[in-house]
Amino acid sequence: MSNSVVSVVARFLDEYSSSTPNRLKLVDSYLLYILLTGALQFLYCLLVGTFPFNSFLSGFISCVGAFILGVCLRIQINPQNKSDFLSVSPERAFADFLFAHTVLHLVVINFIG
Amino acid sequence: MLRAGLISLVLFGLVLGAHSLTPSYHLSPTDVARLEAFLNQPLTDLESAYYSIVGLNKLGTRVSDEKHACQFLKSQLDHSSIDSLFFAAEASQALSGCEIPVSNETRDILLAAVSEDSTVTQIHRSVSALASLGLPLASQEVVSALATRITKEDNVLAITLALQTASRLSQQAELGGILEEIEDLAARLDDLGGVYLQFEEGLEVTALFVTAAYALSDHVGMEPPLKEDQVIQLVNSVFSKKSWSSLAEAFSVASAAAAFSNNRFHIPVIVSAQGPATVSHRQPVLQLLVTNVLSQSLTSASVQAESARAVSTKSVVLNQAPFTLREESFELNFMDSQPASGYYEFTVAVSGDSRFVANQVELKVKVSTEVGITNMDLSVVDKDQSIGPKTTRVEYPNKAKGSFTADSHQNFALSFQLVDVNTGVELTPHQTFVRLHNQKTGQEVVFVAEPDSKNVYKFELDTAERKSEFDSMSGTYALYLIVGDATLENPILWNVADVLLKFLDEEAPSVIQSKNLYVPKPEIKHLFREPEKKPPTVVSNTFTALVLSPFLLLLILWFKLGANISNFSFSPSSILFHLGHAAMLGLMYVYWTHLNMFQTLKYLAILGSLTFLAGNRMLAQKAVKRIAAEQSCRLAKYRSLR
Repeated sequence: MSNSVVSVVARFLDEYSSSTPNRLKLVDSYLLYILLTGALQFLYCLLVGTFPFNSFLSGFISCVGAFILGVCLRIQINPQNKSDFLSVSPERAFADFLFAHTVLHLVVINFIG
Repeated sequence: MLRAGLISLVLFGLVLGAHSLTPSYHLSPTDVARLEAFLNQPLTDLESAYYSIVGLNKLGTRVSDEKHACQFLKSQLDHSSIDSLFFAAEASQALSGCEIPVSNETRDILLAAVSEDSTVTQIHRSVSALASLGLPLASQEVVSALATRITKEDNVLAITLALQTASRLSQQAELGGILEEIEDLAARLDDLGGVYLQFEEGLEVTALFVTAAYALSDHVGMEPPLKEDQVIQLVNSVFSKKSWSSLAEAFSVASAAAAFSNNRFHIPVIVSAQGPATVSHRQPVLQLLVTNVLSQSLTSASVQAESARAVSTKSVVLNQAPFTLREESFELNFMDSQPASGYYEFTVAVSGDSRFVANQVELKVKVSTEVGITNMDLSVVDKDQSIGPKTTRVEYPNKAKGSFTADSHQNFALSFQLVDVNTGVELTPHQTFVRLHNQKTGQEVVFVAEPDSKNVYKFELDTAERKSEFDSMSGTYALYLIVGDATLENPILWNVADVLLKFLDEEAPSVIQSKNLYVPKPEIKHLFREPEKKPPTVVSNTFTALVLSPFLLLLILWFKLGANISNFSFSPSSILFHLGHAAMLGLMYVYWTHLNMFQTLKYLAILGSLTFLAGNRMLAQKAVKRIAAEQSCRLAKYRSLR
């Protein structure tokens, strides 16, 4: 059983490193970074306490929001999804990404206190 | 069937009519004295002299120095001014033996003022001056001038002055039109709570209206169209103010008071009791003062008590009993009817003059009496009733000899009766208390003694039941009986006996602290909200480093993937875009440290639009390059296939 899981994971990693375009790998590494940052913030909150609760919330929401926006960007610039996003060019996707991030940062900074 | 209904309706109306309004305010003798003193101010100018002299005249008194006043008028008189002539003429009329010299020019000036072009005030003053100086005037011309002016100046004061002017004209003139104005003005009065009736312009105008309306009605001989209730409400409005802000206001009140006391149609009657409305055996006579609004006694009236009804039992004690006039007051010996003590509703009717208004009055009269205590028995009753009670009789106001003991086996009991000394009837006053007072500790406990069905008061003290009220303090207590009521002339505080109370389980402290409510209470210390405990700096710093560490990982990954900026085109739009974007991120930091949302939005709007324009251009250029690259790639593939 564990054997099959390991083999599936290994196969997945192989496929990923070979068939994914470089651009998408960049975005994936960005997503991993955001994920780790959010997880570490949550760990701090669990261990030490929620003292400046608004700051914790703002930081965590920032990570979650950035992750979601990153995922949206990845979906939209993936050439395999081109048929679903005929009207959205990769540049347009990136511009949307930047604009949404501006709004997210505004809210996060407001809440961070 | 219908007729019976009609009759009952009429009767119903009559019954309602019986409860008419009575004046709440009038000028008491002190008020009249105050008004006279206020009006009797030293003469400064003609107008104030007019108010003082004529006002005092209306109240029936004179200025202190008449000759000086007359000379003052003559010296201050300006023969060319209508106002000056008016004040001097009216005031001289009020003084005895004061004549203002009049010349032809004066007469001409006054007559010339009577025209449609002068204001109502000017017409009023010139007509009054002409009338007071005994000069002839053309009444019909005045009437037509007034009629024209009334339509132009439609305010209350103007119409009031027109009424006053009309009262000085000849009776042959056509005064009907102006007379109708009284009714129109009366409709403009404001009814305040059913008690007051006044113009919104204020007290002075209302009082002047009253004076003018009655002056004109008397002159013409027609009753003014004011209902009884309205007359009383006017009385309330004019006399509710007891100190006057100006001479003019005081003058108007004096004029109105004179009008109400002395006109041909309505005389408001004030009925009040002289002193407290209380009757007793020592003072059996009920004295009433029946006066007009100036507190002048109406000795010509005949006063009768229509009925006197007991408030508690609703039984009628007196019917159609006349009051007799003695000096200035009306008297009735109420104790002749032998009323029981309590409160009585008197309905008093004042007759004798058809002009009397509010001549049916309801008065509440108290009949008080003296109370006597009979059959006061003190006894010590055994709880298990094995030994018979020992009863001691005590006579008021003596104190019982020897003391009584009440402890766990014995109760202390007390019974007595309260009777009316004069009639022998049993009484149940409002306050019948038994007070026990410990002289040593100062404790005081009060109980209520209740009457039973036969009006015998009983009180029983059980030490076991009542120990909480006494704080279980044993000792000798002085026992007092307190009897009081509004209708009793002799309230009683009687030290009946000394009672020795013995309580079991003396848990009480030896010194009883008096329950002092007014000592300072312990101070309340406010606890400010403690700031939450912050984790130690080491922990925070560690976690900050930890949270920032994935960024390093990102850089490493990107480096491994081969991300580079070799494709960076140094076009102005891309430089501008990157700068603008960096500035926006910097603005975020500044927002966190210094700014508020509004300022940030302002800067963000500027930077954002710049960045957007630059970014749009840059991305468009990139898109063009990408599409060109894709097309050339496709072209190359196509060519290679061929």
